[in-house]
Amino acid sequence: MRLKLIVLGGEGEKLADDGKVGGTVNFLSWEGYDLPDPLKDWRAANNINVATTFIGNHDDIQAKIKTGGAASGYDIITYYQGYKNLYTELDILTQIDESKVPNLKNLFPYFASDIGGYWTKGGVRTGVPFTFGAQGLTYDSAAMSELPSWYDLLDPKFKGKVGMVDDATGVLTMGCHLLGLDPGTLKKADLPKVVDLTKKFVAQTRGVSASYGDLTQQLVSGEIQAIYIGWAAVNSFAATAGKTTVTTSLPKEGAYSFCDSFAIPSTAKNVASVLSWINAVMDPKVNAAAAVGLVGGTTVKNAVPLLDDATRSLYPYDDLDGFLAKAPFYPNPPVDSTEFVTGTEWKQAWGELKQSAGG
Amino acid sequence: MSKAQRQSRLDPLWSSLPAAALVGFFVLVPLAIFAVYSILTSRLFEVSGPVTTRNFSDALRSNLNRSLSRNSAEIGLLAAVFSVGLALPMAFWMRHGAKRARAIVMFAVVASFMTGYLVRIYAFRTVLGTSGVINTVLLRLGIVDHPVEALLFSRISVTVALVHIFLPYATITLFAAMAPLSTSYLEAAEDLGANARQRWSRLIAPIMFAPALSTFVLVFVLSASDYVTPQFLGGTNGATIGTQVQVAFTGAGDFGAGAAVSMLMLVAFMICYAVGVGVPRLLGLGRLRFMS
Repeated sequence: MRLKLIVLGGEGEKLADDGKVGGTVNFLSWEGYDLPDPLKDWRAANNINVATTFIGNHDDIQAKIKTGGAASGYDIITYYQGYKNLYTELDILTQIDESKVPNLKNLFPYFASDIGGYWTKGGVRTGVPFTFGAQGLTYDSAAMSELPSWYDLLDPKFKGKVGMVDDATGVLTMGCHLLGLDPGTLKKADLPKVVDLTKKFVAQTRGVSASYGDLTQQLVSGEIQAIYIGWAAVNSFAATAGKTTVTTSLPKEGAYSFCDSFAIPSTAKNVASVLSWINAVMDPKVNAAAAVGLVGGTTVKNAVPLLDDATRSLYPYDDLDGFLAKAPFYPNPPVDSTEFVTGTEWKQAWGELKQSAGG
Repeated sequence: MSKAQRQSRLDPLWSSLPAAALVGFFVLVPLAIFAVYSILTSRLFEVSGPVTTRNFSDALRSNLNRSLSRNSAEIGLLAAVFSVGLALPMAFWMRHGAKRARAIVMFAVVASFMTGYLVRIYAFRTVLGTSGVINTVLLRLGIVDHPVEALLFSRISVTVALVHIFLPYATITLFAAMAPLSTSYLEAAEDLGANARQRWSRLIAPIMFAPALSTFVLVFVLSASDYVTPQFLGGTNGATIGTQVQVAFTGAGDFGAGAAVSMLMLVAFMICYAVGVGVPRLLGLGRLRFMS
């Protein structure tokens, strides 16, 4: 009899299981990231049943895993690259056995590298990037023209017409980017600069919104015309709701990018199926379908020719490195530091900023 | 004491045991856990020794907490004033004036419970938005030149939505509380020369003061602790103190801070409840009884 071992350990520790692909996979992440259509054939071929738990906020992932413990039984999660350090600190991530994911060879060189240590660090892989995107300026082209600069949103004529999502990490990362600062190494003395700038953008809104779905509804109803730190997927959401004039551009200052990776949390039981899942998503056809469905970028080189025109035109795949230099990936603030602004201080600042901007 | 008497005394005790066990397990145990968390030192989704009062002192010193508490109190007060203010005459009319229409009105009040909470919140966006029903009417009638933006993402929209959500609760509670206020009392007052104003001020108001105050406290507590409605309709200054609890537990993983704010909220609401119960007693209204 083989022993099924669950290791509640940290980065680098491997999970063992019975090696059989099949059964139920407990999924914890954003709605849509379970890729029901792109993985339909894989699920059927392997008799996989996916039990989904969708999140409303990235913080739900660590909250559910840390409060639920091993009993929560989540087999697969995703993480935004900025959360890598926090998830390492919390012992959430486990090592992914690369020999079980042969399709890793399909990754773009950038995503196969260990830049930033977001997916691999010291030869230990903890995540497999499957989609990425840049947080552009999303706006209704029927109501306003394209803005060359983020600062154009501060024009008084846009007062009350700008939407913003309630995301401390995203909003302050963008503030850092505009000021040429790195959120991962933001000195405590520099925090007021970021707060002051962000406050100006918050003052242009009539309130921060709970989600991009909420912002889409406001764009469609005409309550707002633009989103500070938009998302290309909103174009698609709005089109589905009947508004086809919503588009997303990248202003001259650039923006920050996000890259989401599949990962195996320390609570996983059905590891073999998750490894098979990840391998399937690295297949060009599956990854292209995922990118189209998510209105995102593909991390798989041979998936590019399989994208539809609209999805392919989102990002310049012939100069991905150049694009990511303009819209880089950033780490989140550290968990503890006497020198740099920590995640807790960041959230506190965002809470106070929202209040003071509202008067 | 006879066996039958002892039995009749024990029956209510036994019958209330399951409910008491449920309350104990699902309310008191979590509350005790929160109380323990609030005095322990936290670090990223963990609490451990040593025992500390720092969570409370931080929570009390925080300008953000004070600002959010003020928001909560204002939103709760506005919702409670309007809910009870509207529910009281409505409940009176249903009890003494509606006659055959009572069943229809009661059905309408109960039916509003059946609509989803978020659906109602989003419905108010279409009503109060710049291209919503009210602004469209105002523009077409020429009353305003531009849409009134203050209707949405403001205290107005939050109050309107909360009143809409809690008005049925208040109406049904007050309607039930008016059951012993029979028409014969009102007729007797009228026969003794009391006009409508005097009947309200000298008969109905003293009798309904205690239940109205209880309803007021109920709506205040539920509105002040609600952070979903302000988040969707409240604008930049619409956040409430409940948001801090959520952020502390799920975002920052600071269980101690979240528990301390929760315990302080609990104390504040218990004080409100004590006032709700104590004031009628101080005024001697708690001793009012209906003659059967």
